[in-house]
Amino acid sequence: MTSPRQRATAEFVLDHLVWFMLAAVLIVFSLFVPNFFQIGIFANIIEQSTFVGVMAIGLAIVIIAGHMDLSVESTAALAAMLTGILFCARGIGLGITFTPEWLVLPISLLLALAVGGLIGLINGFFTIKLKMNAFIVTLASYIWVRGLVVAISGGRSAQDLAPSIRVIGIQTFLHVPLIAWIAIACFAIFSFIMSRTPFGRHITLVGGNPVAAFRAGIKVDRLMFISFILAGAIAGLAGWLLAIRTSGATANLGTGMLFNAFAAVVIGGVSLKGGVGRLPGVYAGVLLLSSIHTAINLMGLPAHYTQVILGLLVLAAVLLDTLKLQIRQRFA
Amino acid sequence: MNRLRRLLTMTLAAAAIGLGSPAFAESKGTIYYMVPTLLDEFQTESVSAIEKFLKGVGYDVVTLNADNKTDLQQSQMNDTILLKPAAIVLAAVDFNALQPSIEKARAAGIPVMQFDRQIKATPSDFTSVAGTVEIGYVAAGEIQRLLKEKNGEVKGKVLQVLGDPADPYTLDIQAGFEEKMKEFPGVQIISLPAMQWEASNAGTIVSDQIVANPDIDLIFLHAAHLSVAAVAALEAKGKKPGDVMMISSNGAPVGLDLIRKGWLNVEVEQPLYAQAAAIAMFADKVVNKQEIKPGTYNVLGLDSTLTIEPWGPNLKIPGAAITKENVDEPRFWGNLKAPTDPVTPVQ
Repeated sequence: MTSPRQRATAEFVLDHLVWFMLAAVLIVFSLFVPNFFQIGIFANIIEQSTFVGVMAIGLAIVIIAGHMDLSVESTAALAAMLTGILFCARGIGLGITFTPEWLVLPISLLLALAVGGLIGLINGFFTIKLKMNAFIVTLASYIWVRGLVVAISGGRSAQDLAPSIRVIGIQTFLHVPLIAWIAIACFAIFSFIMSRTPFGRHITLVGGNPVAAFRAGIKVDRLMFISFILAGAIAGLAGWLLAIRTSGATANLGTGMLFNAFAAVVIGGVSLKGGVGRLPGVYAGVLLLSSIHTAINLMGLPAHYTQVILGLLVLAAVLLDTLKLQIRQRFA
Repeated sequence: MNRLRRLLTMTLAAAAIGLGSPAFAESKGTIYYMVPTLLDEFQTESVSAIEKFLKGVGYDVVTLNADNKTDLQQSQMNDTILLKPAAIVLAAVDFNALQPSIEKARAAGIPVMQFDRQIKATPSDFTSVAGTVEIGYVAAGEIQRLLKEKNGEVKGKVLQVLGDPADPYTLDIQAGFEEKMKEFPGVQIISLPAMQWEASNAGTIVSDQIVANPDIDLIFLHAAHLSVAAVAALEAKGKKPGDVMMISSNGAPVGLDLIRKGWLNVEVEQPLYAQAAAIAMFADKVVNKQEIKPGTYNVLGLDSTLTIEPWGPNLKIPGAAITKENVDEPRFWGNLKAPTDPVTPVQ
């Protein structure tokens, strides 16, 4: 027999397990990894979480809505490459400028969001309107969009992004680069949207049980369509940030980020079955992965270890998810 | 009516000119170029260069991109063998895994030429390389020079950013570099790989290491596109050109731009144009299965040594160290000024 207080404590721990894991990992690394415990390294971890983190927001929304989006990595790459081609001064960059110069910042951002949104729209159309399987549709997008990146760049790279955009990658606030603050802001905004607005709650309902949601009068197709467009646009934002970080774009930019984003989403407690998950948990998942990457860098271990640890973490996360269910049943 | 006649005359004249041009001359056959990937500038430019030079000596060229997948390149080899081309030019994704495919092609009577990536495990009909291990040697020499200039002797801390650790290309450069640095115990080398040759991974490594080891003297990156992200990471840490010495390899346009901006001290060039021109120079000999003689050959102005090795005729073209002093020379492929003079086949 458990008291309500014990049950509440257990619920709290289970709901925020990934944050406890993150805290534990940071403490262990700070104690045992040379040079880890310093502000610069923590700032690096937050900065490095930016791209996978932003990408993971869109991915998590689609997964919570009960679908899948494998195209986010390629969409980000396309947005990065377009930003690079249009606004870089060297390589294949066209070096487009505006007067006043700062206009390049909102225009490039809007363009990246629009391109991402368009890919999301295409995914949504095939998945929702034509009732095709989201896994296959977005897998196809993952392939053709990356192909498009290679085609428009000719395999070449763009570099030397306009200084008025680069400023976001260079300037810091409280030791943390502005690009990382953008990611934090995105998590805050979308966490609010997902937990406190009818839109977010309906997305979760639809992901949990689309038939029940439909019977309750929720416009299921419309919401799912929007979730795909959002995922695409957010991936576009991730690509824009990536181009800023690397001061340009190469044809293979962002390769491998999809799997990191997936890992973060799963570790963060989002159920791949849909209807369950919170974005702050996803951010904790991204920070956890980034901390592990950084520790491995500092220890000078072969990078393969990152993949091994990543795989084991995902497995552990899924295992914990199953255990959480059993523990909850025990406390109920 | 007059207009129609004029149009007809012009069309016939254009056709006559076209038929007389080399494009309509009889082809010596089709050569397939197996490019490992189109996701890096060296490989992309190699396609243009090989197609240009081989067409110049009378061959049609078909390029197949393996997308960095060994199994895909093996399938492409199998398919191509069935088409019985005049020859295959292979830049292998995996140096060892392609061995059976090379043997299969040669058993079917199709000559195989190796481009850029040397395969020693089985004989080929011709190999044109700068030598990946040698790139490591050149980089080591330049790094020793830079460290001596800075610290008075060859000592200090070097961050080596590799490409994907599953790629033998980067491992060869590392082997060459570390072999030459062994004799300098005062040099501490920190080696970390940028998974999948992805630029932001290199940026992450540099950004972490520059915080953990602020006394890093020099960063050696195994590809120019990685140095762009490394520079962005250094900039974000408030560094200016020259604060940390940098070297990268392959000679891509982005690397040359970074030399001009003062970020990169040296770019170790792979002589792409010469490597591609050599393929065209020896194509007739290879296709007609004629003997290739060892010796020194002038390839686009570079004295290159051809030796007969257990894996076949091997032409080694010297790589160059590009610095601020010589960065604008058109011979460097990173300036993207492909030689316009046709290649003369070796007689």
